[in-house]
This record gives sequence, C-alpha cells and structure tokens, in this order.
Amino acid sequence: MDFSFMAKYWLFYLVGAKNTLLLAFLAVLAGSLLGFLVALARLSRAPAARLAATAYVEVLRGTPLLVQLFIVYYGLQAVGVRFPDFPLADRLLGIGFSDFMAGALTLALNSAAYVAEIFRAGIQAVDRGQSEASRSLGLGRGMTMRYVVFPQALRNILPALGNEFVVVIKESSIVSTIGVAELMYKADTVRGNTFRPFEPLLVAAACYFLMTFPLSKLLARIERRMRSGTH
Amino acid sequence: MELIRTVGLRKSFGPVQALRGVDAVIGKGEVVAVIGPSGSGKSTFLRCLNLLEVPTGGSIAFDGEIVRADPRGAHAGGALADGPAADAWRRRMGMVFQHFNLFPHMTVLGNLCLAPVKLGRLTPEAARDQAMRLLARVGLEDKAASYPAQLSGGQKQRIAIVRALAMGPEVMLFDEPTSALDPEMVGEVLDVMRDLAAEGMTMVIVTHEMRFARQAASRVLFMDQGLVAEEGSPEELFGAPRGARTREFLAKVL
Repeated sequence: MDFSFMAKYWLFYLVGAKNTLLLAFLAVLAGSLLGFLVALARLSRAPAARLAATAYVEVLRGTPLLVQLFIVYYGLQAVGVRFPDFPLADRLLGIGFSDFMAGALTLALNSAAYVAEIFRAGIQAVDRGQSEASRSLGLGRGMTMRYVVFPQALRNILPALGNEFVVVIKESSIVSTIGVAELMYKADTVRGNTFRPFEPLLVAAACYFLMTFPLSKLLARIERRMRSGTH
Repeated sequence: MELIRTVGLRKSFGPVQALRGVDAVIGKGEVVAVIGPSGSGKSTFLRCLNLLEVPTGGSIAFDGEIVRADPRGAHAGGALADGPAADAWRRRMGMVFQHFNLFPHMTVLGNLCLAPVKLGRLTPEAARDQAMRLLARVGLEDKAASYPAQLSGGQKQRIAIVRALAMGPEVMLFDEPTSALDPEMVGEVLDVMRDLAAEGMTMVIVTHEMRFARQAASRVLFMDQGLVAEEGSPEELFGAPRGARTREFLAKVL
C-alpha cells in the first residue's frame, strides 16, 4: 500500500467531494419537490393523475439508474434538447455544466420516485380520524392536508428523507460514467495518472464514508429529538 | 321545528348494509339519544348526517337543504362527501368523536382557532378570545397552551367539544363520546353535554350511557340491524319498551 500520491492529488478528491455533495444536494432538493407532487398525484381523486403517478414511480424504480442516466444524457441530445453551457458555471464546477445538469436531472428524477413513496407512506400513516376531525369542522380537502395531515406526516417523512440524501450521495457516483467530475470520476483520474489500481479507490471510499456517516449520525439525532418531543 | 330529516337513508359498504332505510326527524333544540347493539348502524347514521359517509340510498334534509344519495358511495372506499357544498354543510354541524381526534401538533388554543381563522369566520384575535371563553366554560382555561398529549382523556374530550362549538354549529353530533374514557372521567364530559343541552343546543348522541340517555335525552332512537326499530321518550322507551329486540337489548345493558 502506498498513499504517497495523495500529496499531489489531494485537491482532486476535495473538488470531487464538493461536486458530489452539490450533485446530491440538487438532486434531493429537486427530487423532493417533484416527489411531493408525484405523491399528491398518487393520493389524488383523479384516476388519470393516480395512474400517471403510479406509472412514474414503478418505471423509475423498476429500471436501472445507469440506464436512466444514459437515456437522459444521450436521449435528450438525440431529440435535440441540450442544457446550455455557462462558462462561469463551468469554471466554478470545474466541469461542463450541461453534463453536470444531465447527471443532476437523472438523479433528481430517480430520487423523486423514491421520495414520492416516502411522502405517500408518511401521509397515509396519519390517522384517518385526524382528517375526519378537520373535515367535520368544515375545512376543505386542501386545508386539511395543509394544516392537519401534512404537518403530522412530516414527522414520519423527515428521517426517511434524510436517509434518501445519504443514498443519493452514494448513487451519484454513477454519473462519473458520463464524465461528470465528481468524486468517483476524480478517483478514476488519479488511478490513471498514478498507475495504481487500488489505493485511489480506497481513498474515494473513505471520502464517501466521511460524507455519509456524519450525516446518518446527525439524522439519527434529529430523529431521536423529534420522537422525544411532546408533540 | 324540524332541523334534520332523513328519508329511507341507506348506506352500504360493499356487500354490507349498515343502514337499510332510516327515517328519522331531529327537531330544533331536541336532544336525541341513539342507542342499540354494536353493528346496528348508529355510528354510520351519525356519520351520514354530516356527510363523513356518503349515503347510498335515500336523502337527508338539513334546514331545508337536501342531499340525495350517491349510489357510487358504496364503492368509494370510505370516501366522504367532497366539495364546497359538503364543507359548508359540515361547518354547521359540530362533531365529537369517540377518540377525540384533537390535532396533536397544535396547542389546545391552536385546535380551537384553526377552523374559525382559516375559514375566515373570525380574526385571529377574535378567535383567541372566543377560544378562551369556550375553555373557561369547560374549566380548562389553564390548558390553552398545552398540547393534547399532556391532557387526560376527559380533558381531551371537553376540548374536542368546544373545538366543535368554536364554529358556532346549529347541531352537535356525538359519536360515543365517553366510550374511550376511563370511568372516572365520564362524568365531567357528560356534565358539559348536559350544560349544552340545557342551553338549547340540538344534539344527536350515539351512546352506551343508558343512564345519561334516560336523564338528558328528549327522545331516544333504538337502532337495530340498520333500522330505527323503536323510538320514543326516554320514559316510554326505557320504561315500557314495545319491541322484543328493544326489551332484549335493554335487559342486557341495564
């Protein structure tokens, strides 16, 4: 084992980790928003909306992330859709903005399917008596969801949503295959430059773990605090 | 004066017929106790009145407005009547549930203010004043800032009653309001209900408290197998029941 290459390449890992976090953050943010809408559609009374949302969740969960990534990356180009390249963004990220966006978009679309299920389960776990009490006071469907059901569902949702963030950090490594210079891609570059097949990967694994482990610890703490609360 | 009238009210859950044609009249200011064996349709009847269940047959008239049955209601698994008309209808009927159903993420004050404020009936300040008056009425002003989890069952149910009153309902529906309470807390809830009756509130009460029904009700409906099997004044129904089923039931519970 020889980690002397780190003296020269440590910045690679730092930039890679930054891009990984950025990717995961964007993916979870956009994925949560989209996932919330998909969950609402799944719980809607309109059969068409329910069907579309269910199909979305099943297809996205039932196909490999790698396939989805290639479909977004090559498929969008094939039909003439291309994310613009911003020189400024390129320089800040150290990578092509359009490729980065294709990666982030795929992760977001994929995550949305899982998040939608998290929201749906969280909302359905709220006792039906709660919405009945709200409706019996004359509050409508929307207000009941907004003021009574959703705030309570959030307690069920937040821990699982945090867990999804951890999952996305790990799964984001797959976008290295389309040349997005996140942690995994950088580790591969280091492998090529140093002709060492093994150690650079160990460093990458350690970096991933350093990101996910504190995050899961933090989430566990938040969860405990929420459980011990009076409401 | 007649406030609510059901005609041939039916409700099926799939193949199960919970109500098989209930004809009932609730007069303004009446206190109607609904008694009967479990599974007789008492709760379903009550829940149909404020459209938490969509009737599958017959009609309900409430203060001149009429809701007709939606035969599809049987298939919509547990769906309640939706839309502005149903919401407005429910606004005028308060409901108290067996399991209180207070909102656990809000304080007592929050529970009492939510509907009046969000529905634009009162300003936040006016709703707060009203809530404090209502709490004083049930002796729970000091609980305004508490969360439901910090209250006893009896306190929760008293809060649930005034939460419904906060919307200024014309009739109050009680679905076994004391069934989930420890015995020593039943009295405090029944006292609140007695006061309410004394003030002239129209009340429909599904209950297993026969003594309360006898003392506080102006009329008693005995339900059996989805029908009103017998009705009358408490003296008539408890003192000289006519039907065999009524006698059988009363012999078991009294």
